[in-house]
Amino acid sequence: MSTVNIPSPNGQPKIGVYVCHCGINIAGRVDVKETVAFAKTLPNVTVATEYKFMCSDPGQEMIQKDLRDGKIDRVVVASCSPLMHEPTFRRAMIAADANPFLFQMANIREHVSWVTLDKNAATEKAKALIAAAVKRIVLHRPLEKTRVPVTSDVLVVGGGIAGIHAALTLAEAGRKVYLVEKEPTIGGHMAKFDKTFPTLDCSACILTPKMSAVRAHPNIILWTYSEVAEVEGFVGNFKVKVKRKPRYIKEDLCVGCYECVEACVFKKGITKDEFNVGLSKRRPIYIPFPQATPLVAVIDPETCVQIKRNKCKKPCVDACERDAIDFDQKVEIKEIDVGAIILATGFKTFDASRISRYGYGKYPNIYTSLEVERMVNAAGPTGGEVHLQNGEKPKTVGIVHCVGSRDSKTNAYCSRVCCMYSLKLAHLIKERTEAEVYNFYIDMRTPGKGYEEFYEKLLKENVHFIRGRVAEISDWATIPEEEGKLVIRAEDTLIGAVRRIPVDMVVLSVGMEPHENVDEVRRLFNVSCSHEGWFLERHPKLAPVSTFTDGVFLAGACQGPKDIPDSVAQAGAAAAEALALIDRGYVELEPNTAYLQEEFCSGCKTCLGLCPYGAISFNDEKNISSVNGALCKGCGTCVAACPSGALQQNLFTDEQILHEIEGVISYV
Amino acid sequence: MNKWQGWRKIRYESDLDPQFVNEIASIPGGEKLYSCIQCGTCSGMCPISPYMDYTPRQIIAMIRAGFKGEVLSSYTTWLCASCYSCTVECPKDIKLTDIMYAAKRLAIREKVYPKRFPTPVLASEFFKAVENYGRSTESWLLVNLFMKTNPFKIFKQMGLGLRLFSQGRLSPKRESIKRRGELKSILKVLEKEHMVKSKDELVSTGKEIA
Repeated sequence: MSTVNIPSPNGQPKIGVYVCHCGINIAGRVDVKETVAFAKTLPNVTVATEYKFMCSDPGQEMIQKDLRDGKIDRVVVASCSPLMHEPTFRRAMIAADANPFLFQMANIREHVSWVTLDKNAATEKAKALIAAAVKRIVLHRPLEKTRVPVTSDVLVVGGGIAGIHAALTLAEAGRKVYLVEKEPTIGGHMAKFDKTFPTLDCSACILTPKMSAVRAHPNIILWTYSEVAEVEGFVGNFKVKVKRKPRYIKEDLCVGCYECVEACVFKKGITKDEFNVGLSKRRPIYIPFPQATPLVAVIDPETCVQIKRNKCKKPCVDACERDAIDFDQKVEIKEIDVGAIILATGFKTFDASRISRYGYGKYPNIYTSLEVERMVNAAGPTGGEVHLQNGEKPKTVGIVHCVGSRDSKTNAYCSRVCCMYSLKLAHLIKERTEAEVYNFYIDMRTPGKGYEEFYEKLLKENVHFIRGRVAEISDWATIPEEEGKLVIRAEDTLIGAVRRIPVDMVVLSVGMEPHENVDEVRRLFNVSCSHEGWFLERHPKLAPVSTFTDGVFLAGACQGPKDIPDSVAQAGAAAAEALALIDRGYVELEPNTAYLQEEFCSGCKTCLGLCPYGAISFNDEKNISSVNGALCKGCGTCVAACPSGALQQNLFTDEQILHEIEGVISYV
Repeated sequence: MNKWQGWRKIRYESDLDPQFVNEIASIPGGEKLYSCIQCGTCSGMCPISPYMDYTPRQIIAMIRAGFKGEVLSSYTTWLCASCYSCTVECPKDIKLTDIMYAAKRLAIREKVYPKRFPTPVLASEFFKAVENYGRSTESWLLVNLFMKTNPFKIFKQMGLGLRLFSQGRLSPKRESIKRRGELKSILKVLEKEHMVKSKDELVSTGKEIA
């Protein structure tokens, strides 16, 4: 390994050092004048100066003027974190026709002035960091960003309202969209709801037009009952394999006439209907719901006698006039190239039986909110009637908020939608049954347009609100009036009394949770998760739909609990971000990538398994590794691991880092 | 050491009166009561809330939940000085002072107000004096008030009373109007009207007169 100085492009390097005051952020602790005087003494420094705000236009112009006048050819700015202003100064250098990588920042704000109390110590540390930057920049080489063309198609994963909206937006912009959904129909959770808060418009009435628009759009290729199996490649050039599960029905022939469903040997439902969240049963051949998109039957291989045991009279085949049933269908793998991926995989509801003291699954007439959504839905299993298991209408109903939310034992976060949907269900239940409705809440959270007004409407409807988390639901009666009822026990914290309220029916307002297989999905698309399991956005405020993997965007509740308006807004944002990427036609890749010095590589393959981005492959002919610069994210893992030092990283070569350390040490 | 407070009582729904809220809300503007968001502005504004057994916010919560007995027998309504601070600042425009009066009226009608608490006694004694004599005589009013609340307090105030008496500020002579019989018959008619009206009111809320 050589430590020879790489000479400046034009002989002896000429370094300009610019120290920023950042108002008093830096100057309040660091003696800037002394620092500048020190910088002037360092080798190869031709210009050393200070300014109140280096990032301002006059500050940048100082650098540009010195570059244009030929006084300097390398720039060290001692100011804030490179995360903040490195792009600013690099742009300034490009504008002055200099290579933006002949630049180094010394962070004397976050690393010095903000964290050091003693003024002398701060000044000394600032000097050391400047010395290190000056020493290091001598070794900087001009680098070029590489440009890679971008495929214009987009993959949208998940066909709920977020995925639907993102797909439609992109398709309207003329992009080809692959919409992949794991269920037999698109629509997601929204298709199961009856009314939406706070406007109480019919969920199906506003969703189904969008669903059929997806079906009809020439730019959308809709693959339901399918899953993404493999993702390779990088931003702008993803290669994706989609697994299409056999539905045993030819999609192009089926018209959704229900003849096969009627003909099935099972005259009644035999297994839990997923769409009605278990409130009804379905047959082995079924169409999830009348507005399913695509309106194509599907055969469940778990329960179909023909598929399981190969001995059925197959009346469905005889009933189908279009010969659409095909028991020989196999898994199909589709390979597609896409430029961007939008993840809209949604959420699942909290399993209420995890909180045993609420008695879900133990007592009859305790339902989760999603079950009640189906119950109040006119197309649901009860035809919109809310009734108890004995068929009677409930006279009193208790709605328990925060089930599986705001609880360190289950989920610590607030699921954001439960207060509002509980209010909506309270309204619908009161409307359908005229029952007395009690809401048990910790805090009433109604932030949103028209939400607080909806709460007031419910207050005026004389729905009871009891502020207090429900302690226990049981059928244990202590007085005769409670016999045969479910008794909810909670403290009314506003009155200051523990109350026992007997009800006929309980609705558990379950929170939102990430899918169980979120880890699998996260690995597949190489995105990060928060510790709860929600996909992590690049920045919580300023990049809410981007991920740390370029070209993969987030939409809807897979990023965190969200209601319909927020999901749709985010889906639109994700579609716009994807379009911005695709419409530019190319991606620029940072040059801080790893590169291989072939003559040093011993072919030990240590690096192969370490690369989190799959950027390293092995060249069997030459018996050495090879780095795909387009995939490399510059994490440096391989560089650190390479036993022979054959792998080096642009902007972070061993020499550069050692020089930087030397700079600090030699000053100290 | 704190004094042992005794067992906290669990509140059973069957002990509560679900119609109570409608009874109170039937006063003019009373329907605003349903909009209460329990923010506590009323209790914060109230200059007397530190002396109340339930704060005004709690009174509203208890009315909504049907805690009729507690509300009607509480001291809160009687301590209310009718300064209207709560009503002025309420974000939901609830006429809290009016609700206090409604609760007081109901408490007198149902005879559940705190019997020896000065405010209701003073109110009823004043009314009785005016009803009988057409005028209130302060000396008699004071004596009656002390007798019906705490007779021993009269000794504490005796010095002040005697001084006022010697200065001619307090006279033992009962003041009266002429033709008291005419006043009586006016009041009788008025009371009859009022009873009929309140009977209707109560019938409309499905509550019988106790």
